[in-house]
Amino acid sequence: MNALLGRSAVLLGLIGCVAGVLVLGSGLRHRRPAVLRAGRQYAWLVLAGAVAAVVAMERALLTHDFSLTFVADNASRSTPVIFTVASLWSALAGSILLWSLVLAVYLVAVVVKFRHRSADPLVAWATLVMYVVAGFFFALMLGPANPFTKVGGPVPLDGPGPNPLLQNHPLMIIHPPVLYAGYVGFTVPFAFAVAALVTGRVGEGWLIETRRWTLVAWGLLSVGIVLGAWWSYEVLGWGGYWAWDPVENASFLPWLCATAYIHSVMVQERRGMLRVWNLSLLLATFSLTILGTFLTRSGVLNSVHAFSQSAIGPWILTFFGVVLAVSIGLIGWRGDRLRSPGSIDSPLSREGAFLANNVLFAGFAFVVLLGTVFPLLVEAVNGQQLTVGEPYFNQMTQPLALTLLFLMAIAPALPWRKASGELLRTRLAVPAWVAAATLVILVASGKRGLAPLLAFALGAFAAAAAVRQLVLATRRAVAEGSGWWRGIVGRANGGMIVHLGVVIVAVAFAASQAYGHRAEFTLQPGQSARLAGHTVTLVDPVRTIQHANRTSVVADVRIDGGPVYRPQVSQYFSQAGAAVGTPSVHTTAAGLTDVYLSLVAPPVNPGDPTVISVTVQPLIAWLWFGGALIGLGTLLAILPGRRRRPTAPASASASASAHQARRFGRDRREPTGTPRVPAGTRAAVEVPPA
Amino acid sequence: MSAPRRRTRTALYGAGTAALLLAAFIGVLATRKSAVDQQATSPLLGKVAPALAGTDFVGGGPFNLTSLRGRYVLVNFFASWCVPCQQEQPQLVRFAGEPSGDTAVVGVLFEDTPGPARAYLRANGGTWPALADSDVGQAALDWGVRGPPESYLVDPNGIVLAKFIGEVSAAYLERLVAEAEGAVGAPAVARSAAPTTAAPAASGARAGGPTG
Repeated sequence: MNALLGRSAVLLGLIGCVAGVLVLGSGLRHRRPAVLRAGRQYAWLVLAGAVAAVVAMERALLTHDFSLTFVADNASRSTPVIFTVASLWSALAGSILLWSLVLAVYLVAVVVKFRHRSADPLVAWATLVMYVVAGFFFALMLGPANPFTKVGGPVPLDGPGPNPLLQNHPLMIIHPPVLYAGYVGFTVPFAFAVAALVTGRVGEGWLIETRRWTLVAWGLLSVGIVLGAWWSYEVLGWGGYWAWDPVENASFLPWLCATAYIHSVMVQERRGMLRVWNLSLLLATFSLTILGTFLTRSGVLNSVHAFSQSAIGPWILTFFGVVLAVSIGLIGWRGDRLRSPGSIDSPLSREGAFLANNVLFAGFAFVVLLGTVFPLLVEAVNGQQLTVGEPYFNQMTQPLALTLLFLMAIAPALPWRKASGELLRTRLAVPAWVAAATLVILVASGKRGLAPLLAFALGAFAAAAAVRQLVLATRRAVAEGSGWWRGIVGRANGGMIVHLGVVIVAVAFAASQAYGHRAEFTLQPGQSARLAGHTVTLVDPVRTIQHANRTSVVADVRIDGGPVYRPQVSQYFSQAGAAVGTPSVHTTAAGLTDVYLSLVAPPVNPGDPTVISVTVQPLIAWLWFGGALIGLGTLLAILPGRRRRPTAPASASASASAHQARRFGRDRREPTGTPRVPAGTRAAVEVPPA
Repeated sequence: MSAPRRRTRTALYGAGTAALLLAAFIGVLATRKSAVDQQATSPLLGKVAPALAGTDFVGGGPFNLTSLRGRYVLVNFFASWCVPCQQEQPQLVRFAGEPSGDTAVVGVLFEDTPGPARAYLRANGGTWPALADSDVGQAALDWGVRGPPESYLVDPNGIVLAKFIGEVSAAYLERLVAEAEGAVGAPAVARSAAPTTAAPAASGARAGGPTG
């Protein structure tokens, strides 16, 4: 029943995609607006298919329909309901199903959002591209990643449940969907980039439209990555949160490209430049999501996260090849005709800084990509096997990250076109003093190490610059009588809040990497041990607790004479042989220090000592806080801020700018084939915050 | 658009270069085998396995690899902190089979201590002999191990048949054993040279290892 429903739903989705492609294709070919308008309706069919398939799978999981292979492999009667729901994304076929659902939601959102312009060939092309991508994933589910295959032979009475690592922390319930929402979201800007190249309309109009979609995807991906780091910290028990694992890199690579795009697209909006580069970044972002999926799902690389490997490798690789061929072909075919004639006047300008930012982010992405695939390349060349470890990534990315922090500090202070030395002096004075003061205080308090100190000083510099912008924007908003909150809403202000979040994450990363301590202690009940100024005491002999789905061995450990923490090791009944640790974390006030306990080895015989690993790291909690701030800042950046279109006079009254915005809203719909003249000269009217 | 502007071809050339590089890249990816069961080259292949002896911290008492002559032995370098090791553990349990069977598993610790490893093995169903490496990691040096999990399949004559970097699967190991059994009678491998030490010491590259 569930299998039948699920398969029919997947088929329905695929039919929707194919029909959409055919109808839109014929409409574009014969230039029939009515057909183009009809073509968007199939998105609902795709969504219906995806929703029905997910419902069928969840129903099968919740009703323990072990006649489905996926359920038999990933569900068990003893798994709590909430983790049974989350089992959908604990293995490959289900995660493809989730991917299809997310993509279908984006598809319908695009169709609804652009419903009044569905006859525009550019929108039609973008929708068509999304149908093709969605069609690929539905086809995967009919072929090699079919979630609705039936078990051969007798139906089992119970299953093993999800991998124990995936069912012992609530973060597993939200981390994958949020990450997917971001990862898959880059399909929308990709589709519009392809459409812009195909139609040759690389004007600014569509860009303003897709910027917000990119921001949504970027924000969700950022939060998803941080949630993943948090999950790994809370579950894996080694006290770390980021190991440059292929799966982590797979999510980080598109993030880097998209971050570069979010910055350089502003140059295009203001100055009309970097059009082809921006398109390339969007194409690269999407290609990297597909490459990442291949690297982590095909089993070519060993990964801590290799929870699901299967035969979809060749399919995804082929799709990756098609995406690349289309992207590169379009750029090669159209690129030179679409390039803008303008050039950057001075390296010491906002656009100069964005360019530097792009070079750094592209370099960053290259370094991470190289480290990820290097073992494969070396093996292909001389058959040798090697692993690229954390030292490579840390050493290579450190200077890039520090330079980015520095840019983050000065770029917001730079005006467009050209900056004078005096202007910079005025604007950077306060942030520079803050940075210097931070450095002096830290050195005086005994902190050492070049890299972390640089990170803290530059972080303070960047944070002060961001706060300065926010204060100025808020003051201006109050002066204009439009409410202080206007000072934190909108692209520029929301962006500054994102910058603050990134600075906090960067500082926390540097601090925890540089000043962490880890040790293992063998303790008898009542004994204590000290590490980095913290005392841990094993209070009682370890206890064994029976849960519905697992047996846990719990150690009661008192930290600094205060509350008792309980690291444990659990053995899941349904998973023979696999024991999973659950660390316990004590965070001191303001998140300054984390004391991380994991139970390494409970005593074998009564009277034996207990082995506990203790990790003391500073500022770990700041990582999670910084991630939340990035999410919040993105949200504020998406909200419409002060309307200041390039042609709107800076001194226009509120009502006049609203009028301008409305007028522009219509203007942007012009379906002409010629790109608009870049509004560079008028953009220079923009008054920098004073 | 009066006088045609002289066009540069940056985008075309850039795209062409990218296309060539990425086509080669896809070619490389397409020809990779799965990392699970990936056999690695090693100077030890076809040679007598390096000596491996010490105290078995699971069962207690002395252990010597030579005592397992006559059986196919998987020498598994592992650590309790290594997540892929934990993931491959059920496969090892399957391959180890009955204590009296013709296959066996021996664990060797890599950058880990017997305390946590003993608990790890017990929790994950490992009942086979396990040795702690010396302070300098002599066994890892002798065998050329860079990071866990790495495994070596040693045949009944003590000859190294295969090296695996990363996880192994029992099915694949059993197939190798079956193939080796089928090839009995094939020319014996020269046993003259003593095995040379392979790769340099283990680097700091421990996937998922502790930081800080």
